Amino acid sequence: MNVLETKGLRKTFRVKRKEPGFAASLRSLWAPSWSEKEAVSGIDLAVEEGETIAFLGPNGAGKSTTIKMLTGILHPSGGEATVLGHVPWQERKQLAYRIGTVFGQKSQLWYHLPPSDTFELMSRIYELDRDDYRRRRDLLIERFELGPYLDTAVRRLSLGERMRCEIACSFLHRPRLLFLDEPTIGLDAMIKERIRELIAELNREEGTTVFLTSHDAGDIERLCRRAVVIHHGGIMVDGSVQRLKRDILRYKTVAVRLAESSPPAELLPLPPGARRLPADAGQLRLSVDLTEIGVEQVLQGLMSTLAIADVTIEDPPMEEVIKTLFARGRDEGVAAREEDAP
Amino acid sequence: MEADRKPAERSASAAAPTRAATMAASAAAADRRKGTFWRGTLPFLLTCWKLNLAGAMEFRLSFLMTAGMMFLNNVIWLLFWGIFFDRFPDVAGWELKDVMLLWAVSAGGFGWASVLLGNFTRIAYLTANGELDVYLTQPKPLLLNVLASRMSLTAIGDFLFGAAIYAYVGDHSWTGLASFLLALLMSGLFFLFFTLAAGSLAFFFGNAEGIAFQLFNSFLAFTTYPADIFKGLGRLLLFTIVPAGFISYMPIGLLRGWDGSFMLAAAGMLLLLAALSLGLFYAGLRRYSSGNRMAMRS
Repeated sequence: MNVLETKGLRKTFRVKRKEPGFAASLRSLWAPSWSEKEAVSGIDLAVEEGETIAFLGPNGAGKSTTIKMLTGILHPSGGEATVLGHVPWQERKQLAYRIGTVFGQKSQLWYHLPPSDTFELMSRIYELDRDDYRRRRDLLIERFELGPYLDTAVRRLSLGERMRCEIACSFLHRPRLLFLDEPTIGLDAMIKERIRELIAELNREEGTTVFLTSHDAGDIERLCRRAVVIHHGGIMVDGSVQRLKRDILRYKTVAVRLAESSPPAELLPLPPGARRLPADAGQLRLSVDLTEIGVEQVLQGLMSTLAIADVTIEDPPMEEVIKTLFARGRDEGVAAREEDAP
Repeated sequence: MEADRKPAERSASAAAPTRAATMAASAAAADRRKGTFWRGTLPFLLTCWKLNLAGAMEFRLSFLMTAGMMFLNNVIWLLFWGIFFDRFPDVAGWELKDVMLLWAVSAGGFGWASVLLGNFTRIAYLTANGELDVYLTQPKPLLLNVLASRMSLTAIGDFLFGAAIYAYVGDHSWTGLASFLLALLMSGLFFLFFTLAAGSLAFFFGNAEGIAFQLFNSFLAFTTYPADIFKGLGRLLLFTIVPAGFISYMPIGLLRGWDGSFMLAAAGMLLLLAALSLGLFYAGLRRYSSGNRMAMRS
């Protein structure tokens, strides 16, 4: 069952253009020049209940604009969308009872008050039954380990503590669909990991659909099974995270632990398509270009000359996949602009 | 690349989807019962006001000084009027007591509106800086949610000043009290809707903070002078485009005695202004363009 569907969803903004300099500023006073900027250009998307989906793209690709249309913040310039059966910009209030939103840059928490007060306000905003609210609040406090700073003013919390409160708050009313826009921005590695674990747990246990935008490859790898990459306002790639890692970068990393009896690997001649990577003593790491040579051939070569204790074959890290995709998108954009040029 | 849209594998048992569907259906039914004024909006507003006050009192000294200074500021203006009336006891039929009540109605009306619905002076700012996002994702009447999310500290001083002046020179009979409360109510609503209309221009002009601030200041200034000192075009403006006259005539048209035609005109103008400002706000909302500025409610 789809919880979210869009068809040709589009958003354009009217942007004022001004050439540099004071004279141009004066000219623009009586003859302003406007242009249309297409932030989202016809997105078709379907998300099933319980999915964890990463919505990726470089800055300015249209991720946040799309989320804002799907949550009813922005009216689209064209196209259709339904979220949990509601048209977001027409049935904003009904939809809001059933979705949660976390914007990394826009807080729901009351800055001068402790998180416990914001919990109280949220319970009123979502009109939760009092007993149910208390049970749910206590559960989230325990799960998100908020106890120690529940009564500390938000302004005195660290960014990580604040973000945990923020996400816990967004789960208070048991949303069926949670939109997270850059939820781990600016957090340290440990806090990021904990936040990912918590979101994954609630997705598993409560079946909450998670729709996430992030620039952090770790968020995507740890949380999401499906990735949608957008660029220049349109969908560039839509597939499983595993498949992205497999298909976008045609290389694998072969990591070998050498047996004590093995001859040294430093002088080993490598076949075309295999490249040596930095590795600890007693280990060998190779990057294998699958367009030139198969992993089996490389392994056969290694086994014929070395004594091997252990072998692992890894997909490229998500970080690399994203970098490649964004670079590809940029090149396509440049090519498209060159074609358009007179 | 070809699309690959497999749904997520779920670790839950086969019975889970049925349970989840039942839960979702009952949640949807519960949601349909939500949103009434008595069970939804009113408890939300009361909590909002309680937390606003709690937030204000986090900084006790600042709270007392800000509110106290505004009270004193208003008192100083009245002292000037006192000196003025000492030399000219009658200004276009107005006496010192009328001017004092004018200040009580103006400051008191602005005071309650800014205490309970304190964001009404910040609509242009919130709109231009894309800070309506959080409110738009919450299932509450948008405008009420935005307005009630802030309490002005200085306005507490304004409201207390209005109450103190009424206690000092006002008519303490039941009808006198009722008239004063009605004047306060209407004055606050005039401030609210006029400033909301000015602030909503930000949806259409982008950065309209400057013009909204100027319009608000003009309105505020005109509410502190006796309406009858303005003649001709000035008076026409005062009862049309900048309808501050409906506040500044209250001491004569309502508190001194019930002037039916004035009160009818005031109510009509208030309704018109309310319709205009709400229309501008909600029409403008369709053009809202959000933003990416870091924001936190305080």
